[in-house]
Amino acid sequence: MAVKVNSKISYIFKKREFGIFLFILILLAIFGSIEPRFFRSENLNAILSSVGILMVVGAGQTLVIVTRNIDLSVGSTLGMAAMVMGMVARSRPDFPIIGLILIAMVVGGICGLINGFLVSFGMIPSIIATLGTLAIFRGAVFLVSDNVQIDPEDVPKDIISLATTSPIGIPWLLIFALLAIVLVWFVSSQTLLGKRIYAIGSNPEGAISRGLSFNKITIMVFVFIGVLAGLGGVLYTARYATINPADVGRGLEFDVISAVVIGGTNIFGGSGTALGTALGCILIGILSNGLTVVGVSPFWKACATGFLILLAVAIDNLVRRRQEENFLLAIRNQRVAK
Amino acid sequence: MSALSKSPSRFKVPGYLIGPILILTLAMVYGSLGSEYFLQPASIIFNTGRYMEIGLLALALTFVIINGDIDLSVASTLAASAGVLAKLFAGGVPIFWCCVASVFTGFVLGLINGLIVIKFGLPSLVVTLATLALYRGLTQVLLGDDVVANYPESFAGFDQRLVIGGNPGLPAPLALFFVAAIIFYYILHKSNYGIKNIMSGSNPSASNFSGIGVDRVRLLAFALSGTVSGICAVMITSRLSSTISNVGLGLELLAITVVVLGGTDIFGGRGAISGTVVSLFAIMAVREALVIQDVNGQVQDSAVGLLLILTVLVPRIRSYYIDKRDRQKRFNEARAKA
Repeated sequence: MAVKVNSKISYIFKKREFGIFLFILILLAIFGSIEPRFFRSENLNAILSSVGILMVVGAGQTLVIVTRNIDLSVGSTLGMAAMVMGMVARSRPDFPIIGLILIAMVVGGICGLINGFLVSFGMIPSIIATLGTLAIFRGAVFLVSDNVQIDPEDVPKDIISLATTSPIGIPWLLIFALLAIVLVWFVSSQTLLGKRIYAIGSNPEGAISRGLSFNKITIMVFVFIGVLAGLGGVLYTARYATINPADVGRGLEFDVISAVVIGGTNIFGGSGTALGTALGCILIGILSNGLTVVGVSPFWKACATGFLILLAVAIDNLVRRRQEENFLLAIRNQRVAK
Repeated sequence: MSALSKSPSRFKVPGYLIGPILILTLAMVYGSLGSEYFLQPASIIFNTGRYMEIGLLALALTFVIINGDIDLSVASTLAASAGVLAKLFAGGVPIFWCCVASVFTGFVLGLINGLIVIKFGLPSLVVTLATLALYRGLTQVLLGDDVVANYPESFAGFDQRLVIGGNPGLPAPLALFFVAAIIFYYILHKSNYGIKNIMSGSNPSASNFSGIGVDRVRLLAFALSGTVSGICAVMITSRLSSTISNVGLGLELLAITVVVLGGTDIFGGRGAISGTVVSLFAIMAVREALVIQDVNGQVQDSAVGLLLILTVLVPRIRSYYIDKRDRQKRFNEARAKA
């Protein structure tokens, strides 16, 4: 019986992501029928590269939200990583690209480590800690850069080519994004660490009393999102070729959290998948691009995103309620059978 | 704390005020080192006008956060109300009725937040994240790229007006803030509603079973927050005497920082108006002191973020070590007995 309940839950999980997928198809059909140029390969490429950055950071944010935490500082972490990388590239133009990417990821990881320490050992609620570091890291970007932006001619060609060249038909930018999603999928569903992360999120007291280290897992998750935000900094630099201390990654936190929530991750922790987040990112990308292509004023974009989040959580809530009812029903049937 | 309680003085400073008062004092000293004019009453009063909208937003947010909810949409609600005000004014409606409409818009938008949160049982963090985008989007749709200006003389320059004349006089925003603070103090700490508010925040289900309409209390708090946003929209429009669609962008994070720095528990159940008031002045003093010392605006923000983290972190670390010491002492005593 237990197996049956389990398969039922996993069935609904599949269904939930299927719902987002269906919504994407409907949107594609609507935009495509209004404006056939929407399906041109250049436009589809533009959509995919615009969601790349969102996807990389969203992959990390999924795990953070699964552990009942939230990281508001991702935009500033991304900015910090991009800025440090850009400054290294400016002062030493012959620095290898792998080294630059590693630098960005390490800087991001350090920012994440600070967040992780504050949340775990500092016992500060993550929403407050990362609200603070959102401002602190942004200030650090200014201090480090001395308020001077990195100009396009100082950004190495190799970095920019990440956004412009496509080795196997899809741009490097998207390959990185897909790798991040696959990594999170693998960790969350195939490893013991993933099970522990979900356990901490769905029942912290229970998980801790079973001997899981809350501090260790929290720090790990925050370092992970930091590293991914660092990678996001590389992709940002590739896409925009300019690193302005005030603009780099600003407001990213809201887009990322929106994408994760639309992807079906429960903001109270314990459930959520990488696939859902990826679909959520694509949905946001298609929506904002499609509205422009169809000729709707770009001012409607924020409205549409807000409405989408509300729709997503409302549906999610309904599904969860039904799931709980089914679960209770199954237990009752089991008792009746006995 | 033990040193304080042993002291013979009867007046005790509440624990949550120690941090903000310390910050306020240090900022005053630091600022007066930068310029001898910093501590002059006239310059202090002159500089306060810009912060009073944040102060009012924070006062109303205190109620929402004590309930265990959060309202991220305050700045967007403010923008939407200001948008309605501007649109009506441009349409030739008398300015008084524009202001009434603005406050009413704020009330309705706050009510919508509350209704979605309560009727659908959704987390307020996600709902107000959605309405943050939604209301900002509505403002953009309403105003587009337009700048509405040319407000009548009788309306503009609210912050330049003095309620009590003379030198230094009492400017209108400061007077309004003090009046609001006193009213909110009585509502939160002396009225029936305030007690219900704190109780439903500290234990919602127990309060529900004790006959407190938790849902109604929460709904009222959201409506209050919206209404105050509408009032702030009038204030900010009068102060800037122009309206654009990104008015008040990012104020929500600053307002939440003020509330949390003032000792209100982000998980609800604890908080005081006095904390919010003192922390507003502390943040104001820090920022003005940094302005005097010629520090970049972003770095000012990050100093405030650092203070936010420290005020939450230091008491927690302190209580952790006191706990540890007490445990060690008990352990030693037990061993000595054995």
